Amino acid sequence: MAEPRTAPEESAREEGLAFLEPRVHAEGFPVAQVFGYAGSIILTFGSFFLVTRHLMPPVVLLAVILTLAVGQAALQLGVFMHIRESRGPAWQIVPLGLAFFIALGLIGMSVWIMMFKAGVS
Amino acid sequence: MSLPLAEEETGLAPGLPLELADDRESIKITGFWMFLVTDVLIFASLFASYAVYRSRVALAPGPAQVFHYGPVLLETLLLLTSSFTVGLAIWAMRTGRTRMLFFWLAATLVLGAGFVTSEIHDFTSMVGQGLTWHQSAFLSAFYVLVGTHGAHVTFGIVWAVTLLFQVARRGITPVTARKLYTFSLYWHFLDIVWVFIFTFVYLGGKIG
Repeated sequence: MAEPRTAPEESAREEGLAFLEPRVHAEGFPVAQVFGYAGSIILTFGSFFLVTRHLMPPVVLLAVILTLAVGQAALQLGVFMHIRESRGPAWQIVPLGLAFFIALGLIGMSVWIMMFKAGVS
Repeated sequence: MSLPLAEEETGLAPGLPLELADDRESIKITGFWMFLVTDVLIFASLFASYAVYRSRVALAPGPAQVFHYGPVLLETLLLLTSSFTVGLAIWAMRTGRTRMLFFWLAATLVLGAGFVTSEIHDFTSMVGQGLTWHQSAFLSAFYVLVGTHGAHVTFGIVWAVTLLFQVARRGITPVTARKLYTFSLYWHFLDIVWVFIFTFVYLGGKIG
């Protein structure tokens, strides 16, 4: 109890967990939010226009707009959800990353196995 | 033991916003992240079933004939904007402006209600044309995926109403700040899910 309290950032770095280092945002004008909103509008409606313009073959187009969606998700997590904010190390990053990994596997494997069926029949 | 422990005197850690500074409230935020992790898995399962069934249209029309892009674009704009306004609500909360927080939260609620109204209108007009979820595996998967998201948004609106009352009565305290913060996490998460629905279901339906 007598030992001085260490800041959360230091404790995270000490254990080699620099990626879990918490960061807290609070500024006078919500610059990040405004840019985040502009970015989300551009990404979403950008993918809509890509689809309506028929600039690419279907498979490429689907890959591009899914990439834009992933970028948008990262933007929401980073700018609006403050994913790195925490009292101690930002432990939520680890299970969330795991969940996204499982989600990717679940969807990707389902699509893959059904493509195989369509290929042989 | 190098992890920071709660301050014995006040329970509030210095240099952190209210909802994170209070040790009992901040642990609930971590708990809410764990709920979101499970929700990612629910939506992953529904996306997987949609991905598998979207080409199984039986005798009913397929995605290209079924979807209306006008309402969908409107819903997307409403939800993206509401994600922005709830972000501003948290910013107002962090800078201690209760009235502004109240305003942005109310704006979020109105935008969310607009989203749900448009979606219900879209669904009822589809059902009116005979496009029910009995018609094909594609329509079943579509209604379950998009409907689950819509149910989440509807619940979020009810939640936001209760928060408006709590902010009006108690102002910004560690407890209300934590509740608003978890609500904002929930709302942005639904926005992310919608972006994937918009991209994969609606735009994917246009690609074919």
